[in-house]
Amino acid sequence: MATQPKVPFEPAPQARPAVITLPMPGISEDWLAVCIGLLVFVLSLGPLIGADLLGWAVTTSVWTSPAKALAPASKLYAKLPPFVSLIGTYVFLLAVLLAGAKALRINLARFARGFTVVFIVSYICWFLGNWAHIAATPDKRQALKIGWSLSLTNESGFIIALLAGLLIANCSPRACNALKEAIRPELFIKTAIVILGGFLGIAALEQRQLAASIMFLGACTIIAAYLIYWPIVYFVSRRYFGFSREWAAPLASGISICGVSAAMATGSAIKARPIVPIMVSSLVVIFAVVELMVLPFAAQHYLYGQPLVAGAWLGLAVKTDGAAVASGAIADSLIRAKALAATGLAYQPGWIMGVTTTVKVFIDVFIGVWAFVLAWVWSAKIEPREGEKVHTRQIWERFPKFILGYASTFLIVLALGLAFPSLAPRIKASMGEANIFRAIFFVMTFLAIGMLSNFRKLWQEGIAKLAGVYVLCLFGYIIWVGLLISWLFFHGVLPPVVRG
Amino acid sequence: MTEPRLREELEKMKGEYEPLLPIERKLIWYTFAAGVILLAALVLISRAFVP
Repeated sequence: MATQPKVPFEPAPQARPAVITLPMPGISEDWLAVCIGLLVFVLSLGPLIGADLLGWAVTTSVWTSPAKALAPASKLYAKLPPFVSLIGTYVFLLAVLLAGAKALRINLARFARGFTVVFIVSYICWFLGNWAHIAATPDKRQALKIGWSLSLTNESGFIIALLAGLLIANCSPRACNALKEAIRPELFIKTAIVILGGFLGIAALEQRQLAASIMFLGACTIIAAYLIYWPIVYFVSRRYFGFSREWAAPLASGISICGVSAAMATGSAIKARPIVPIMVSSLVVIFAVVELMVLPFAAQHYLYGQPLVAGAWLGLAVKTDGAAVASGAIADSLIRAKALAATGLAYQPGWIMGVTTTVKVFIDVFIGVWAFVLAWVWSAKIEPREGEKVHTRQIWERFPKFILGYASTFLIVLALGLAFPSLAPRIKASMGEANIFRAIFFVMTFLAIGMLSNFRKLWQEGIAKLAGVYVLCLFGYIIWVGLLISWLFFHGVLPPVVRG
Repeated sequence: MTEPRLREELEKMKGEYEPLLPIERKLIWYTFAAGVILLAALVLISRAFVP
């Protein structure tokens, strides 16, 4: 889900699919995510020069009394009333995203209205997810003076946001339509991933050897998506479901690689009509929601003893960047909570999500290369057209640019930490402030994914046969092969344990 | 220009099955074989060199 797809024409309004919005002209969401992510990242580095520029941002802790839930991130701003901190966070994000909306050339008034609703609903979900009876893990109950809790950790706010989004989309599609300018899960998650790079840079700084191993192992797993998933899904959809080449190739890419952008890139590479990758993408988003709600809990139940296997598995099994990284975040919390309860091991947070992100990012990197290969095979061998050439610049055009932002923040933090070891604690605190915005972008991603998933309309479109391929390949093949490959590479590799 | 509905597209495909071309078969099985071989090689490399 990385590149900004090029759709040759805008479909007629009555034929608009249920869940996918078409790209607008102007800057791509990829580059915009890089700009916004880097802005937050750079501002968060203020403490390194003695200026706490984001310390006023609001944090939400696990609460038993709502009045004590919110607080500014930094002690420097301790006197700031929490509600002012919340309003400040909203105004800051609105201003930054309005500038982005201007660059995307979308209606600013509608965007502002839509974003306000998305932010408010998202933050309410996040707030509810932090209620102690939902979030608190068993080891925290005594301190919070509560007798029971669901132990879902504060990431349950993501699930609540997803459910809220699904509810809105399927009960009130008109409301979603009215807010559509601001329902941008791609933009939100890519921005979050750029910010996440810095956070993972800190983890890599503290555990260099483990981080290097994870990078290598993560890179190895991409073989699964391109060389092991894709040909089988293509074969099944062609041979057993009777799909034409035009449908089978984007479908195979959507199911095997990385949802929306892979389907779009493949559709464009083989010159499929725009409806084909758009419908495939719609399906991918729907199934990503299903995976997101099931797989992290399955990972918690069966893989808490091998947390990084779980992280890699989610990166290989859950399609779309948003759902994959989000499921990694949920699994991170769930598995750490279960491991603590079952084995007494307190793993450091972020490593499971880090592995999911690493696997997903490596898969994304090669979408352009794969589209280029398919374009060449189709134009030279399958449907040769006279005078048609495939240019290598397609690889760059389809390269997911937000990965550059992710790599930048990761490498900057790593380089700063290596060059100035004494600054490491302050860099860590800085990334803590950036992480507040990462969490907000995450929760907005969940809400937006839910709001774009109108099951009823998709069913009316007659998507059952496409869904048949998806169900068979995903649950009969991809999940199990992904698990095997994750096990082969990550078995026995464990996250660091919290000391003290 | 109006877009075709998915339901109509799927109906059309029922009547016009495109058989797998030899080049498609090659693409499928060569890719898969390359994947399995590379996977085996990388598993061995990771076991040998990654701590």
